[in-house]
Amino acid sequence: MSVKVEASHDGIPHNKVMVIGAVISLVSLYIAIIGTVIGVDYLAFFGGFAAVGALIWGNSTIKKLCSYGIGTGVPSAGMLAFGSGVIALLFAATLGGISIWIVPVAGLIIALIVGLFLGWISNSVLNMKIPVMTRSIAELAAVGALALMGFGVVATGTVGFTGIATIEILGVTVYNASYIGAGVIAVSFMLGAIALQHPFNACLGPGEKQDRTNMLAIECGFLSMIIMAVISFVFVSLAAAWISLIVAIIGWFVSYVKYLALSKRDAAAWLDAKPFSDAEE
Amino acid sequence: MQEIIIGIGVTALAGALAAVAGAAEDTESNIGSQGDPNSQVQLAPQMGYTHRIYNKAVSGEPPAYTLWVTLACGVAWAFLMLGVNAILAIIFGTVLATFVQGVYATTAYLGRTASLSKFGQPVFIDVVKSVTTVTMAHAFVAIFATVTVCYLMMTVIGHPFALPLLGIVWGLALGAAGSATGNPYYGKERQYQNQKFGAGVPISASGNIVRYAEAGQRSSIDNGFFTAKFGGPASGLCFGLIVFFELWRTIIFEDYLAGWGAVIVGALVIIIFMIIDRYVEVWARKNYGPYAVEA
Repeated sequence: MSVKVEASHDGIPHNKVMVIGAVISLVSLYIAIIGTVIGVDYLAFFGGFAAVGALIWGNSTIKKLCSYGIGTGVPSAGMLAFGSGVIALLFAATLGGISIWIVPVAGLIIALIVGLFLGWISNSVLNMKIPVMTRSIAELAAVGALALMGFGVVATGTVGFTGIATIEILGVTVYNASYIGAGVIAVSFMLGAIALQHPFNACLGPGEKQDRTNMLAIECGFLSMIIMAVISFVFVSLAAAWISLIVAIIGWFVSYVKYLALSKRDAAAWLDAKPFSDAEE
Repeated sequence: MQEIIIGIGVTALAGALAAVAGAAEDTESNIGSQGDPNSQVQLAPQMGYTHRIYNKAVSGEPPAYTLWVTLACGVAWAFLMLGVNAILAIIFGTVLATFVQGVYATTAYLGRTASLSKFGQPVFIDVVKSVTTVTMAHAFVAIFATVTVCYLMMTVIGHPFALPLLGIVWGLALGAAGSATGNPYYGKERQYQNQKFGAGVPISASGNIVRYAEAGQRSSIDNGFFTAKFGGPASGLCFGLIVFFELWRTIIFEDYLAGWGAVIVGALVIIIFMIIDRYVEVWARKNYGPYAVEA
C-alpha cells in the first residue's frame, strides 16, 4: 500500500471543488445545447466554460491522486483521462440521435463507468493498490469527456454526432473535413490532456497553494479555448467564432495576469537582473 | 517511375527538415531544462544550491511536442480550409503553437519556482524574459519543420491520415528523439561538468549542478550554447534518420508482397541499427572511463 503524502493543505475540500467544477461544466454545456435547439451557434463559447469547469475538477483530482507519490505520473494521468474520455464522448454523441439533451449527462455516466473499469484494472489486476485510484480514474475519465465535449462545442457549436462527424460544404455533406474526420478531435485531445496535467505539475513543490494552482487551471482552459476558437472559423458562423475568440482571449488574459500576481505573492523573492546570494559564500 | 523520383525527392527533403527540427527541439528543451534533467534543476534549491536555471516543467518532451505540433497542424488545416496559402497556413499554425509553448513555459517556471519559496529560491524576471523568448524561437523552428514534413506527407505522398493525426505521430516521434538522444548530453555531461569525468553521478552530488559561468552566474541559455555543439546535431541526426527511413522504405518497397515489403524492410533497418548501437556501446565502454575496470 502506498503512503499518502499531503501535497498542501487545501482551503476548499476536494468534494466541493468536484461539485463546483461539474456543475459549471454541465450548466455551460446545456446553455450551449439551447443554442443548438433554437438554431443559433453564437452560444458556442459556453463550451469553453464547460472545459474550464471540467479542468478545475480534474486538477483537484490529480492533486489528490498524486499525493500518493506518483510524481512523474502526473502527465500520464492527463493522457489516460482524455483517452477514456474520447470513448465516452463518441458513445454519448451517438445517443444524441435519441435526444440531444441527454448527451452531456450520458457522457458523464459512460465516462464514469469506463473510468471505474480502468481504475479497477489498475488497482486489482495491475496491483497498484492506491486507495483513491479507482475513484480518481473514474473522475478523470468524466473530466476528459466533459472537457472534450466543451472543446467540441467551441469548435462546432454542437454535441450531437451529426454535428461533429459531418460538415456541409456547398450543400454537400462531407465526412473527411469534419471535426472527427479531419482529426481536429486530436487537437482537442492533446490540448485537454496537457491542460489537465499542467496546473498541478507546474505548481508542484512544498509551497504549492490551491488558489494559485486553480488559477493556472483556468488559464490553461482559456488558452486551449483560444486555439479551438481559431479552428472554429471552419465550422461555425463568423460571428460565433469571433465571439468565442474574444471571450477566450479576455478570459486567458485576466487569468494569466492573476496567476502572475499569485506567483509573485508566493515567491521567495521577485528579482529583475539581480544575482542570487549563495548560502555558502 | 516519375512518382518514385518525386517520392525520393520528398523523402530527402523531409529527412533534411526533420534533422533541423530535431536539432532545434533538443536545443530548445535544454535551454528550458525540460525532460529528465529537469529533476536536478528542481532538486538543486532543496539541496541548498540556488540557481538561475530555467525550470520548464510542462511535461516530458514527447507529450509537450505532441501538443505543439498537433495544434500547429490543426490550426494550419483550419487556415487551409479557409483558403489560405499553404506556407502561410503552416506559419500561422506554428506562430500560435509557439505562443502556447511560451505561455506554458512561463507558467511552469513561475509555478515551480514559487513553490520552492521555502528553500529561498527567487523568481528571476530577467531569466523569464530572456530565456523564454530563446526557447520560443527554437520551438518555432522545430514546429515549423515538423509541420512541413507532415504537410508534405499528406499532399505529395498521399498519406491517408489527416494533418492533425500526422501531427500527433510526428510530434511524439520528435519529442522522443530529442529526449532520448539529446538529454543524456545535457543531463549527464553539462549539469555535472564540475564533477570528475567518468565518475557517473554520485548521490552526494545530487542537485550540485553547474550554476556559474566563466564570469558570473549562468542562466540556461548557456546550456544551449553547450548542447548545440553535440546533443542538438545528434538529436537532429536521429530524427532525420527516423523520418528518412520511414518514408524511404514505404516509397520503395510498398509495392512488394502487397505492402509487407515495407514492413519487412522496416524490421531489417531496426535490426541493423541495433547491431550498430551495440557495437558502438561496447567500443565506447572499452575506450572511455572507468566503466571497464569496475571491480
